[in-house]
Amino acid sequence: MAVALVILLVVIGSVIFHYLNPWAFLPIASQWQFIDVTVYITFWICGVAFVILGAFMAWAINKYKYREGRFSRYEPENAPLEKWLTGITTIGVVVMLAPGLIVWDDYINVPADAMEVEVQGEQWTWKFRLPGEDGIFGTVSTENIDSLNPFGINEGDPHGEDDILITTNTLHLPVDRNVKMLLRSKDVLHDFWVPRIRAKMDMVPGMVTYFWFRPTEVGELDILCAELCGKSHFNMRGTLYLDTEEDYRNWLSNQVTYAEMKAGRKPEEPIVAEGRMVADKNGCFACHSLDGSATVGPTWLDMWGRSVEMTDGTQVVIDEQYVRESIVDPTAKIVAGFAPTMIPYELSEEDLHALMQFLQAQTSVEEATEAL
Amino acid sequence: MAEATNQNPQGAIESTVVDWSSDQTVFKGVPWGKAMMWIFLLSDTFIFTCFLVSYMTIRMTTGAPWPEPSLVFGLTVFGMNVPLLLIAIMTFILITSSGTMALAVNMGYRGNKNGVFWLMLATALLGLSFVGMQAFEWSKLISEGIYAWENQMEAAPQFGSIFFMVTGFHGLHVSAGVAYLAIIAFRVRMGKYDKKGYDIVEITGLYWHFVDLVWVFIFAFFYLW
Amino acid sequence: MAQAEIPYQESMELSHPHSWWTKYWFSQDHKVIAVQYGITAIAVGLVALVLSDLMRIQIAFPEWEIMSPDFYYQAITMHGMIMVIYLLTAFLLGAFGNFCIPLMCGARDMAFPFVNMLSYHVYLLSVLILLVGYFVPGGPTGAGWTLYPPQTITAGTPGNEWGITTMLASLAVFIVAFTMGGLNYITTVLQARTRGMTLMRMPLTVWGIFMATFLGLLAFPALFVSAIMMLLDKWIGTSFFMPAIVSLGEHLEYSGGQPLLFQHLFWFFGHPEVYIVALPAFGVVSDIISVNARKNIFGYRLMVWALVAIGILSFIVWAHHMFVAGMHPFFGFFFATTTLIIAVPTAIKVYNWILTLWRANVRLTVPMLYALSFVLTFILGGITGLFLGNVIIDVPLSDTYFVVAHFHMVMGVAPILVIFGGIYHWYPKITGRMLNDRIGRVHFWITFLGTYIIYFPMHYLGFIGTPRRYFDNLGVSDFYPMSAHYLNDVITIVALVVGASQLLYIYNLVYSYFRGEKASPNPWGAASLEWCTPQTPPEHGNWGDTLPTVHRWAYDYSVPGHDKDFIAQNEPQRSPA
Repeated sequence: MAVALVILLVVIGSVIFHYLNPWAFLPIASQWQFIDVTVYITFWICGVAFVILGAFMAWAINKYKYREGRFSRYEPENAPLEKWLTGITTIGVVVMLAPGLIVWDDYINVPADAMEVEVQGEQWTWKFRLPGEDGIFGTVSTENIDSLNPFGINEGDPHGEDDILITTNTLHLPVDRNVKMLLRSKDVLHDFWVPRIRAKMDMVPGMVTYFWFRPTEVGELDILCAELCGKSHFNMRGTLYLDTEEDYRNWLSNQVTYAEMKAGRKPEEPIVAEGRMVADKNGCFACHSLDGSATVGPTWLDMWGRSVEMTDGTQVVIDEQYVRESIVDPTAKIVAGFAPTMIPYELSEEDLHALMQFLQAQTSVEEATEAL
Repeated sequence: MAEATNQNPQGAIESTVVDWSSDQTVFKGVPWGKAMMWIFLLSDTFIFTCFLVSYMTIRMTTGAPWPEPSLVFGLTVFGMNVPLLLIAIMTFILITSSGTMALAVNMGYRGNKNGVFWLMLATALLGLSFVGMQAFEWSKLISEGIYAWENQMEAAPQFGSIFFMVTGFHGLHVSAGVAYLAIIAFRVRMGKYDKKGYDIVEITGLYWHFVDLVWVFIFAFFYLW
Repeated sequence: MAQAEIPYQESMELSHPHSWWTKYWFSQDHKVIAVQYGITAIAVGLVALVLSDLMRIQIAFPEWEIMSPDFYYQAITMHGMIMVIYLLTAFLLGAFGNFCIPLMCGARDMAFPFVNMLSYHVYLLSVLILLVGYFVPGGPTGAGWTLYPPQTITAGTPGNEWGITTMLASLAVFIVAFTMGGLNYITTVLQARTRGMTLMRMPLTVWGIFMATFLGLLAFPALFVSAIMMLLDKWIGTSFFMPAIVSLGEHLEYSGGQPLLFQHLFWFFGHPEVYIVALPAFGVVSDIISVNARKNIFGYRLMVWALVAIGILSFIVWAHHMFVAGMHPFFGFFFATTTLIIAVPTAIKVYNWILTLWRANVRLTVPMLYALSFVLTFILGGITGLFLGNVIIDVPLSDTYFVVAHFHMVMGVAPILVIFGGIYHWYPKITGRMLNDRIGRVHFWITFLGTYIIYFPMHYLGFIGTPRRYFDNLGVSDFYPMSAHYLNDVITIVALVVGASQLLYIYNLVYSYFRGEKASPNPWGAASLEWCTPQTPPEHGNWGDTLPTVHRWAYDYSVPGHDKDFIAQNEPQRSPA
């Protein structure tokens, strides 16, 4: 009796929990509501099966509980019953599968009018590229990738010069337009996922994968990495803004093209350029940005000479001594708001010196005097 | 299986059903060791299949060009470049060794101890010469600048990787087989199987024929494709 | 059919022990090897259990800062790998397989006792190599148990130098051990059964283990091959799985490799692996339910064919783990269809377990409780599998906590419950003593209800989109609201209780070994052959002078017109005269 009752309570409790719990799909912000519909179909069929099977089990345990000397019914096989059950199951499976395949067909066939956006995943940040005015992406190759050419656009490809590069972990898209996301990775597997869009797809180095969707609502959405991509996987976040057409135009006009990015760069002193190469070679830009955006680690823009709060509440001035310590023993003092994920680096004295010059050069003179 | 078919003239399918539904043994008259070897070879087949399928996938998806096998695997004899000469000889040797192995098994059935010993030894020696030639082939390729991680032919680096890996893995099988053959041959000579019977010779033969068969596939996929 | 001759089985040469070492350490007795496998698997499983509790604390209380991200990712990897391979596979096949096959088939021992002994010691070696990962520079690999390249061997992943090497080496060694054991199981089942034991008279336990072993022998090669290729990529710089990449700013020397090839090989092994664990569990549960329902298993023949069908189908569904991995999208249609087809034979098995209870005489012993809870857990884990197998539903749910909940239900908790039930069921035959009933019941309720509370709500975290494998969710967000924080606190507390309660079971095993009630030869009134041995526990060689002769199937319970409610398999049919 008790056992049967508990099993029944587990089944009923599961159903009650389903109706009372506060967790459901986040409000959808794309046209993929058919994905949700397919989930609900599966949910209902499976839910009913679960309740029937669980309840039958509880009933049978109670009804046929052990009595000394009683014999069970001797029935090795019951072919008609088994055929019925097989048939019903098959129908249930077909009803679940068919809509799933139809929606999948939709998912993999991109409408011809979709605008293209390229996403490049890298440990542990997102970069975006729009094809620019000519509507064609410049060709890329992995060998070209460095901090001055984050996408590895081939020099001399005219289509690449007007590509719009966004390295701030945020992307804006207009609502009600079909978008095809072209997904690339420069290092390891990542997965571009926006829960409120529903769609996701892995990014595989050496390949271009894709998915498409049509934003339907204005809003600010989280971009997550959904494929374990190393120690800072959990920190690989971005933001997707779904804008009205007008807001989108505004945002777009403020973005720089590859050509502008190259032209706007000030010439660097040799020692500073050398420091940049040190940072490039050691992968510092994977976590530290130069444009003020906080990614995995603190940005290097206007950092030098500042007083910053650490995780333990103390204030530390960012100077050569602090930076040197942070390279050799990164977890000693962590800036508040960041996770201790950096690995220690051993750099030669020459490299360290160049790197210090480069870091100082990222703080403008006005900022530096203000901090003092 | 052959015996069962004789007992049950109804046909192959029915006799299979009878075998599988009978008690004690499924394969009538098959010693345990032989059944085990068959199952092991089935498992080993999957290993080689995985290797070969990986090879095909890599070869078809790589962007870089794949070298022409008849040029890479040529051998210069009397100033003439003969494509695939060495491989042809290696293949011939391995197939010959399968022949001597089959004769050894036959001798085992007849209880001819000396015949079994010498034929198995001959098989082992042929296998050894195969491994030797493979070593020669490898060192020749390496001296020509084809390494497992890169090559100096502007070809896909995977060419060397997969070639050395798969032929190396097969070479290990042959080497293990040579050791196995030698041990069994000497145990036969010492009279260890006089009472038990010569099943072990046939089991060894199964392994050896399998290694030979795998080579045929490697030959086809690496040298002729 | 000319029969009655048993040339090998009857007169099999057994290597009798001469010293403590050959009796308890290098024993060739399948029963001792089974216990060795069992103890080792439980010991290494406890390591994984501790790791999981530590991870739960980190998930619920990140502000305590008890671990670094490195440690967390190493823990998820080691926890997953240990549980799947070194506990579940090793226990269900190594321990149950070794113990049950010869006893249930009526053999004196495995076909090759020496190879069998070797199998255990190679397994032990693989466990040691695995654990060495915690002592090499950099610690064990933190790439997740799927070990996907390129991240497994690039600098952003913990243990990318030595940890991954020990892991792959350990797996390769494990595969050798498994192959040695597996050849034994298959040969014994096919060629060493006793008189009258046809394949269709074998208990489902043996059928499940037999099919699972077949799957293992054909699936592990893919893992073996991919382990070799990855080791070559790591150590001699081949580019099988490695395309040209810029890892943390550094241009690596690789070019032209295929990361997806690894995933295909891995899952060609990985999906059958699910059934390598599930099929023996199916078999054991069928037997426990039948014995305790005092009724034959419903639709025995269909159960056997369902096992065979699941086994074969499991080789053509692997890419449902890769729906969003970037493979060619047309594969989605094929693999979603095959995956949902496999649901039919699986559902049949569930129906038959439940229908066995129908018009039965259900005795709620502790093993029966474990078996029933398995059925419920498995139903839930199975139907959530229908979500993930349906390709388009997998898109929003993959890599979320829905997946975590699903596979823990179906592949974690369910087989573990069977292991508990199976140990409880056969403990009297192994040791000659009964396990303590009271401790058993307490442990059962904590474990069953606890795991249900842990994993059932977890599915809903997947719906809101909480991603799996996050060291820290970094505060409150859309996909991780405050209510999810509270839920994770609850789950963690329950998980700690359930984790600690496992010590009860171990205490029970040890206590009962010395102080348990003496068991009769057949305490459960079971009909299958292992309960008919002349001694309890059976001596080396199992059957005394002559092997038993089997006259009926293993499920003659409550046969009408018979005075007892079961008839042992070796009891002759009443002659028609």
